[in-house]
Amino acid sequence: MRLLPFAYAVRNLGRSPSRLFLSVAGAAMVVLLILVAGGFVNGMSRALRATGGEHNVILMGAGSEESVERSEIEAGVPGVLAASVAGVRTRAGVAYVSPEVHVMLPVRVGAAARTTTQSSGEQAAAAQGSNTASMSKPKGRQVMMRGVTPTAALVHESVSLTEGRWPVSGADEVLVGRMAATVLGVAEIDVQVGKAVMIDGRPWEVVGRFSAPGTVVEAEVWLPLADLMTATKRETISCVVLTLDPYNEETGEGADFGDIAAFTKTRPDLELVPMTEREYYGKLANFFGPIKIVAWVTAGLIAVGGLFGGLNTMYAAFASRIRELGTLQSIGYRRLAIVWSMIQESTLATAAGGLIACAVGVFMLDGLAVRFSMGAFGLMIDETVIGLGLLTGLALGVVGALPPAIRCLKPTIPVALKAV
Amino acid sequence: MTTNHTNHRTNSSGPPLIQCRRLTKTYKKGDNTITPLQELDLDVPTGDFLALMGPSGSGKTTLLNLIAGIDRPSGGNLIIGGTDISTLSRSKLADWRSVNVGYVFQLYNLVPVLTAYENVELPLLLHSMSAKDRHEKVQTAMQLVGIADRHDHYPRQLSGGQEQRVAIARAIVTDPTIIVGDEPTGDLDQESAQAIMDLMVQLCEDLGKTLIIVTHDAKSAAYAKRTLHLEKGRLIEAAVLAARRAPLVPQEA
Ligand SMILES: Nc1ncnc2c1ncn2[C@@H]1O[C@H](COP(=O)(O)OP(=O)(O)O)[C@@H](O)[C@H]1O
Ligand SMILES: [Mg+2]
Repeated sequence: MRLLPFAYAVRNLGRSPSRLFLSVAGAAMVVLLILVAGGFVNGMSRALRATGGEHNVILMGAGSEESVERSEIEAGVPGVLAASVAGVRTRAGVAYVSPEVHVMLPVRVGAAARTTTQSSGEQAAAAQGSNTASMSKPKGRQVMMRGVTPTAALVHESVSLTEGRWPVSGADEVLVGRMAATVLGVAEIDVQVGKAVMIDGRPWEVVGRFSAPGTVVEAEVWLPLADLMTATKRETISCVVLTLDPYNEETGEGADFGDIAAFTKTRPDLELVPMTEREYYGKLANFFGPIKIVAWVTAGLIAVGGLFGGLNTMYAAFASRIRELGTLQSIGYRRLAIVWSMIQESTLATAAGGLIACAVGVFMLDGLAVRFSMGAFGLMIDETVIGLGLLTGLALGVVGALPPAIRCLKPTIPVALKAV
Repeated sequence: MTTNHTNHRTNSSGPPLIQCRRLTKTYKKGDNTITPLQELDLDVPTGDFLALMGPSGSGKTTLLNLIAGIDRPSGGNLIIGGTDISTLSRSKLADWRSVNVGYVFQLYNLVPVLTAYENVELPLLLHSMSAKDRHEKVQTAMQLVGIADRHDHYPRQLSGGQEQRVAIARAIVTDPTIIVGDEPTGDLDQESAQAIMDLMVQLCEDLGKTLIIVTHDAKSAAYAKRTLHLEKGRLIEAAVLAARRAPLVPQEA
């Protein structure tokens, strides 16, 4: 089949600049949305997947395996583990055993925090809170607090101090993760080293900042274990995280998860349930599965909305040249060749929109911090998501052109030739 | 000036180029049936220049469209160059048109986003040939209609008469046997109309094309070798008889 010249499709785009703009902008919006949804799902999956250390085992209180926040372990357990579990990694005499408390607490920063320190009036805080964008809500936002000892820095390999120093126990000092500002809905500057954050109604000083690239840990606030236990009036810890030395057949040293599981069976009095850290965060990821579906469905619905807009635009474009379509047929062009040219035309516009959206996605959205119930993570716009975006752009062009093209080629040639 | 042509190019021994036999076109609208063309018999020899006249709605366009292969008869036969085109599939008919027919419209119907040159080139893109051959054919056609200096002009930059010349170049560029025109001078001023009709005569005389035009205008019809009158989908008897008696002598309007 002989096709119409490509130049015909290209120049048809110039026939109505406003329609061209609509097509390009509409496609860009839809593709951008797909990128956001894809980047969101990707980023969330990666954060949860990356959070578990390869050789880390998390031990929680029996009966609360699904949530470390509800777990309780006797404070003496870490000592027992360090002393009696073989294969735990040791460096310079320090065992990689990290006792931790995980608890969600409301945190306030910036003006809101200062207001409450200066005047205890709830109304004043509320009034202040409503006119400063960079402030958290008057009551504060729930942030994952992790009470730790210095061994936490060993066990959680991905965590590194980027600024300041490790907090000192008893001095009301905290470490703030890189994503914490996002979780709190405040500007970076509000959680800088030297600033105060209100935790549970009391000011704590930010003495350091840490990063843990691509993990949910970045959204946490870390503070000395003893301080957090005091603040929350706890006598138990939430969990123990330990790092194993991988089992080595030649030396017979090291251990794997099975050994830990066997150990907990021999000591039922400790009431421990072991889980690899990977598995724990994997389960969390499953828990957030429905959110991902919601993200896709939302993006899909809006894409369909955009498609209908596109159908309208293309119909208006094609319907205004029905006589020309009749003329092309009278010359001998087959309808399929004409449809193909219309698809080219429409796809050029939507692909341009898609490219613009992908550029925006890569340069402006990739890594953008997003908050969700258990922390925050960066949008992850990778090749797959970009590919999906570009494909969406192309599909919009094809699907948006076909029905109007078919409809405008429905009239017989004599009827088309009579069109104005 | 060009009203008394002889029939030196018409091959009267062979079968006529176009043979309409009981050619019928009907439209059904609910219970009503409209019959724009009713059992029409017509022979058009090669090299003929036929003008179709008749009141509005008499079926002139319908007949022209059938012969041009852009419409399909409801009954009867339409044999052109030995092919019964009423039996061709839609896509075969499209191919047939691209080889056999050039259509000239009242409103020119040039593609606005293509230059004069590109408009003329359009039908050639349906045929395989080298770019050089194509270029030569476009050049020749544009020279013939006298718009060789307008290659790069877009239709909106041309006058009506110039647009119609481009349209004629587009109709003849593939060297089809039949050129049809539906009121090709209907939208032109007197002067341009005359020039276009002169061009039509030239196509018939010099290139041996078979021309069929629909016209309201007796002055334009006078350029043709013969004129047929349609009324309510039938040829008027007198015209048919006149044509049979002196088949290739055109009637004075
Ligand atoms: N697509 C159509 N549907 C119904 N009737 C039609 C259609 N096309 C033409 N007709 C009718 O056929 C008759 C002849 O039309 P046409 O051949 O265009 O006349 P004209 O001699 O003016 O060119 C008219 O009555 C017209 O209304
Ligand atoms: Mg007509």
